[in-house]
Amino acid sequence: MGYALDFSAVLRGLDQLLWGLGLGLTMGLAGLAAGSVIGIIAALAHVFGPRPAQTMVRLYVGFIRNMPILVLALFAYFALPQFGIRFSNITTFAAVLAIYAGAYLTESFRAAMITVPHGVLDAARSIGLTGTGMALHVVLPIALRNALPSIGNNFISLFKDTSIAAVIAVPELTFQVRKINNESFRVIEVWLAASFLYVATCALIAIALRRLEAWFPKF
Amino acid sequence: MQSFLDVLASSSGALLNGLMITIAVSAIAVATGIALGAVFGLALTYGGAVVSFPARMVVDIVRGTPVLVLILACFYMPAGIGLSPGPLTAGAFALAVFCAAHIGETLRGAFLAIPSAQTDAASALGLTFGQTLGYVLVPQAVRQIAPNLVNTAVEIVKASSLLSAIGVGELLLTTQEIIGRSFKTMEFYALAGGLYLAINLVIATGGAWLERRYRLR
Amino acid sequence: MKPILTIRDLVKTFGSHTVLQGINLDVHAGDVVSLIGASGSGKTTLLRCVDLLEQFDAGEIRLDGEPMGYRVEAGRRMRLKGRELARQRSRMGMVFQSFNLFPHLTALRNVMLGLTKVRRLPVAEARSIAEHWLDRVGLAGRRDYYPSAISGGQQQRVAIARALAMEPRLLLLDEVTSALDPELVQEVLVTIRSLAETGTTMLIVTHEMRFARQVSTRTVFMDHGAIVEEGEPAVIFGQPESRRLREFLSSMSQ
Repeated sequence: MGYALDFSAVLRGLDQLLWGLGLGLTMGLAGLAAGSVIGIIAALAHVFGPRPAQTMVRLYVGFIRNMPILVLALFAYFALPQFGIRFSNITTFAAVLAIYAGAYLTESFRAAMITVPHGVLDAARSIGLTGTGMALHVVLPIALRNALPSIGNNFISLFKDTSIAAVIAVPELTFQVRKINNESFRVIEVWLAASFLYVATCALIAIALRRLEAWFPKF
Repeated sequence: MQSFLDVLASSSGALLNGLMITIAVSAIAVATGIALGAVFGLALTYGGAVVSFPARMVVDIVRGTPVLVLILACFYMPAGIGLSPGPLTAGAFALAVFCAAHIGETLRGAFLAIPSAQTDAASALGLTFGQTLGYVLVPQAVRQIAPNLVNTAVEIVKASSLLSAIGVGELLLTTQEIIGRSFKTMEFYALAGGLYLAINLVIATGGAWLERRYRLR
Repeated sequence: MKPILTIRDLVKTFGSHTVLQGINLDVHAGDVVSLIGASGSGKTTLLRCVDLLEQFDAGEIRLDGEPMGYRVEAGRRMRLKGRELARQRSRMGMVFQSFNLFPHLTALRNVMLGLTKVRRLPVAEARSIAEHWLDRVGLAGRRDYYPSAISGGQQQRVAIARALAMEPRLLLLDEVTSALDPELVQEVLVTIRSLAETGTTMLIVTHEMRFARQVSTRTVFMDHGAIVEEGEPAVIFGQPESRRLREFLSSMSQ
């Protein structure tokens, strides 16, 4: 079976595989976008907010980062319908991804915010900017730039994590690969192809990120 | 209709079993991963082109592939070459390789961070490369990556939940089986989540304790 | 003529260390007061307290008679916070040793930020004011450059323009040339001198003794958190009275 490598089954299913890959990237981007919103708000709350807000953010981050994504996804997909919350598996997984990403992105943004040079903050204060003004016009623009590498790495991880959606039957890349595996029994070829597609995509994302970072240098 | 607590009582044995398997698989994967990761790390940093190039290939491929795909690959691919390792072996192997690639890369970073002045000093004293490695480089690198190992262990425990996809009777699959019988979906997924949280908190606390203990030395 | 700035018995401690031991100082309109002394004498801390970047522990600072940093309510001092504190800060301008330009904004926008967000001027008006001040410091041609693209001396001049655009009652300068390469120091000193000639009230902490002597109307020597000697620059530099000042001046001429 595997001795004579035959990629024809893989090639026949290539368009399904690429479609699945696209779905994975889309979910990854959606998760990154929504997760970034959560992350920025949580980071601002942690750095500038009152003590209770800090605790809430710390609890959120600590809870989510110790939880397997699959457990969160299964809970969201199977348990929430009991409360009448019923979304499609794709939407559910994207939402879970956003919440999961948010926990990691909070740390990325927080780290970037607290490394804004003190001198720049002094200057902002000396011209009379208040806390809100300072956060909005000085801290945030600088922090977002500085957080870029970290956000980029998070995106690559997030994209790989979209493979978990296959367990709840989202037709992304891993799901499609498993389907071809079960239909054609080309066990070695399909998983080599799967690995290749993921590795290649991650590499391309990494190259694109390095270009982006060169365009927006850190302060 | 039974209450949650009734179901919990009657299935506590199964749950405990699943929990044990999760912990065992994770522990084996981490232990093997550390050993194999050390090999990768040394090969990547100090191996000549003949050794470091294949190591680089393996590490990059493993790190660029999602854990679930690694697990599924290790489960399905052996049949192609006439092997049938069974889900537990396949899954443990996948987790171990995943762990090793990550540790290998981290070790490489740690080795590279040691100033070359250290090797110069060691050479000046007359130490061979092997001695330098053993007495100067490795101890420093290990101290550097120690906090990282806690994070890696937590990631492996989380990844072990994916072994449910290939039928390993760890905590998540056991939970799903109980839910299948009792329909107490929310309660048992929440319980599973809580148990994973507990395991990881114990790991983190244990790591912090160890770190404090060895700092004092 | 009433002084713009009055400082009375100002005390500042960091933990168990008293950095300012009761400072008394008046600054009148048009004064250029140079503040000299060894590192650790408290000069920078004094400036930061005046600009309300540090909270002081005792004494008072008044700008045009108004107490700075706190409000008196029912006989007790209530520290100002948030918006009120920011408003007071905006009435003084500060230029820092490390320039502290906002790295994500062009020179023009650096100067405009305070105008649009603090003084709440419309953008067009803010832009023309900012352009005027950049021109005043000789950097009209660099207005669309980012801080990373201009030299240290140019950055410091932008910082001066940024502070002056807020039309502060007085300008505080904290060792503004200490972080510059020697060849870039002159352009900043020239700018400060021209500001002095047009009547800008300034309190300058500096190590540039010759410049202090030439430009200031009054020189204050601080040592270990207290003012030891003050007076006309010619006297302070030419006929120092106290032993500490003499030791300091001779160590500076090494």
